[in-house]
Amino acid sequence: MSDGSFLTLGSIEAVRPVFLIVMGVFLALIGWRLAKTSGVWTARWLVAGGMLLGFGYAVMLPLYEARILEPFSPGRHFHGSPAVALAWHVVKITVMNVGWLLFGIGIALHANLLGSPAPRPRAQTRPVPSPHESIA
Amino acid sequence: MNPLLEALLKQGLLFDAAGVIGLGLIGLSAVKLARRNHSWGGTMMAVGAISLLIARFYLIASPHLVTNDVLYAIGPIGNSLLIGVPPLLLALGLAGIVWGLWGHERWLHSEKR
Repeated sequence: MSDGSFLTLGSIEAVRPVFLIVMGVFLALIGWRLAKTSGVWTARWLVAGGMLLGFGYAVMLPLYEARILEPFSPGRHFHGSPAVALAWHVVKITVMNVGWLLFGIGIALHANLLGSPAPRPRAQTRPVPSPHESIA
Repeated sequence: MNPLLEALLKQGLLFDAAGVIGLGLIGLSAVKLARRNHSWGGTMMAVGAISLLIARFYLIASPHLVTNDVLYAIGPIGNSLLIGVPPLLLALGLAGIVWGLWGHERWLHSEKR
């Protein structure tokens, strides 16, 4: 490896895709491991969200960083086909946002966010003596 | 293009709302996990979710708020902050959520044993 490529590997621009790939894979893995210990529906939400986010962070964003996929913005000149750029843009925003939504719902179910809190131990009520006792 | 599709894409409201709701749910559940379990993973996750939310709000709001006058008013240091801080927040937020999840998962396993 020549000096130049080694220096670019150490720069922020080159580290970002690696960081994104590691984080995406890790997120999907931990989601799957969390899902193993939780209920059926929680596991489904978690795994679906984790896989979407893992795909988005580990595959799509590095491809955008590498300029293999063109970023879409209206009224811009494209090197390739604008339809392809638009389609990938739709896939990207769908995957990232729906992934966070599903993962958030999964974590919320896992944390029992919307469930009722654990029932408070009820204060012991003293048995009221029946009025007849005092008479008798 | 279909006008509905165009509106959804250009404004991105529906998708942004989905992402923000998901991140908010993650933040709330992270706070609940941190309070219930006294684990540092929940705190880390909450910090990550909040910084991702801040960066997202900035990215949504910047086309409306940041104009040439604003850029001129805040000077070169402010400009470089505006350019540099949102990616940093995005990276830190993602790392915080992943790190917190990992800590929480390890805590769950160690408690089971």
